[in-house]
Amino acid sequence: MSIRNNRRPYAPLLLAIAALAVAAALPGAAAAADKDKILIGATLPLTGAEARVGGFFKEGYDLAFEQVNKAGGLEVGGKKLPVQFLLLDDTSTQASAVSLADRLVNSDRVDFLLGTYASHLVEAQSTVAEQNRVPYVNGGGGATKIYKRKFKYLFGLISPVELLGGTLMQWIDEQQKAGKLPKPAKIALVWENTAHGKDFRKGISDFSQKSGGAYPILVDESFELNARDFGALLGKVKAAGVDLFLVDAHLPDYITMHRQYVANGMCHKVVSYGARGGEKDAVQALGQENVNCVLSGVWWSAQLGTRPGPSQEFVKAFKAKYGGREPEWFQALAYESARVLFTAIQQAGKVDREAVRAKLAAMKVPSLLPGGTVEFKAEFGQQAQNSFVLQQNQPDGASPIIFPKDVASAAGVAPNPRCAK
Amino acid sequence: MDRFVDLVVSAVLLAGLYATMAYGLGLIYGVLRVVNLAHGGVIMVGAYMGWILHGWLGLDPYLAIPLVVGATFLLGVVTYRVLVRHLPRGAAGGPASLLLLFGVWLVLRNAAYLLFSGNDQTIRTAYSTRAIPLLGSYVSVNRLAVLAIAVVTPVALHLLLKRTYLGRAIRAVAQNADSCTLVGIDVERIYTITFGLGTALAGLAGLLSATIFSFNPGFGSGELLKSFVVVVLGGLGSVFGTGIAALVLAVVEVFAILVLPSYLTAAVGFVMLVLVLVFRPGGLFGQRVLG
Repeated sequence: MSIRNNRRPYAPLLLAIAALAVAAALPGAAAAADKDKILIGATLPLTGAEARVGGFFKEGYDLAFEQVNKAGGLEVGGKKLPVQFLLLDDTSTQASAVSLADRLVNSDRVDFLLGTYASHLVEAQSTVAEQNRVPYVNGGGGATKIYKRKFKYLFGLISPVELLGGTLMQWIDEQQKAGKLPKPAKIALVWENTAHGKDFRKGISDFSQKSGGAYPILVDESFELNARDFGALLGKVKAAGVDLFLVDAHLPDYITMHRQYVANGMCHKVVSYGARGGEKDAVQALGQENVNCVLSGVWWSAQLGTRPGPSQEFVKAFKAKYGGREPEWFQALAYESARVLFTAIQQAGKVDREAVRAKLAAMKVPSLLPGGTVEFKAEFGQQAQNSFVLQQNQPDGASPIIFPKDVASAAGVAPNPRCAK
Repeated sequence: MDRFVDLVVSAVLLAGLYATMAYGLGLIYGVLRVVNLAHGGVIMVGAYMGWILHGWLGLDPYLAIPLVVGATFLLGVVTYRVLVRHLPRGAAGGPASLLLLFGVWLVLRNAAYLLFSGNDQTIRTAYSTRAIPLLGSYVSVNRLAVLAIAVVTPVALHLLLKRTYLGRAIRAVAQNADSCTLVGIDVERIYTITFGLGTALAGLAGLLSATIFSFNPGFGSGELLKSFVVVVLGGLGSVFGTGIAALVLAVVEVFAILVLPSYLTAAVGFVMLVLVLVFRPGGLFGQRVLG
């Protein structure tokens, strides 16, 4: 009896310890009730090698936060909460991207994370988000290998580059079926030796293999980033006598390679440098006459804003904020990443990481991305699979969308008329 | 046969570029025994100078050569007088000079980021994509001009070193600085001029590279690595050796595509570097004193 009586005083204490332990394990749930604002953190490469694009991403994020706060904030659990954005400069380096993300989560106590730009930075940084179970939405890491890790808290709005290769081939296939290109059409496939280039190569190679011999690949070569000479490589392409010259390159290599390509007197029925083609810098460096008919595939184009819908609203808002300047896909992807995260928070109805993660995983909402909706399917590691839009440089300096047909504003030209001269 | 001619033409033009990049590094090491890690930064500075003179003043990059060479010569002189001359001479100064000049490179690069942002820039002239037919192949006018300058530069350097008092003084200092002091040669002045000349050659390389490639503040690191390979292959301190080493490296890299995937051809040079360091540490053509 006395033994029993002695035990009783400990029972409430044990219960209290257990309750505290449960509360500590669920910080989001405990904190949500008395939240007076939502804190979202991000890093961007505002200095260093990726500074230019980092600046573009900042513009997209700033616009999204400005819009939501002008509207009084996000409606969460029946009340409007303002959204505070905490942005740090990761200096384009992996080490900073990782350490600053850790600081945002564990020192600044942000509720959610938005992504940085460039695949190698997103790949490193998203590990911090996963370890700390913080939803991480990004529009800057396109390499499929980032998503093959099957992280639960990582969501990517930028479609894989292999879809770019596939979209290019779909348009080429239409031209071949219309009799504008030879059958078989021989391909020279040249790609930068990066995750980006490997994804591009996969898109083209997969299409070629399924084509039943309509697109044999005669040259399949990669090159190192910022190469200094493409003479030997282009010589190999020239000797192969191909019809289609399909390259995946970043801007500096596009400029260097295409200068040598033009100087070598080369011409192919279809020429593409992947996502590169109509950039103002490239046109200035190469001359309009030398980039005519070059095909490029992008994740989003301001031309999508000519029709009513999310793209039109975004373009209008962007121009109003940034002095009439037209946005590029960088700003659009950043803006859309923030908007998707806001939507998930509102759908969750509470500032709770697990609830928001679940809403993101199940999300299917209208979007400004090509295709009109965005979703993060688990089978693709929660990477969006929206199609690309193809643009083709015209002699008047314009680069209209030529594919897919539902958003095209001009018909594509094939074969390249320059080759007939 | 056409393919062979294409590859030979590519190799020779590429050799011109490599040689131009390497002369300055070789000259400074030959005389001061200092590995100029700021070489890549000065190549970047030369590129931006050419871009500014072309974009803002409309000056053709080849006409801008005297201005860029002059300005980078002054940059070299100031760098030497303010920083490098305070380093200990000989082996003791090795690590210190590496750190110091690497620091100079970082300062140059970050200053360029502040001034010009990280955007890629290019110089485009009416002849940027022009080519002339040669033996059934096409030769880029720009690359041909770079090759011509790469050939003229060592000849001019050779004449300077052999035929002028300054050149003889530079060679003498390279051989024995202490004895030079005894015979009245102002060794510090010779070091200053040599560092200026080497820096000016890096500026020239940057300007010429800018006519071919796009560039940003990170430009120059790849060029520095290639310059190292060329200078070591050619034998430290050998001007003509540098030119021939550039040709050997370019030929090996270009013809490697016949047996290797394209992305591996750039690694061939570094394999050669390791082999030369193991089997012929003095370089393919032996170590000389500015011969």
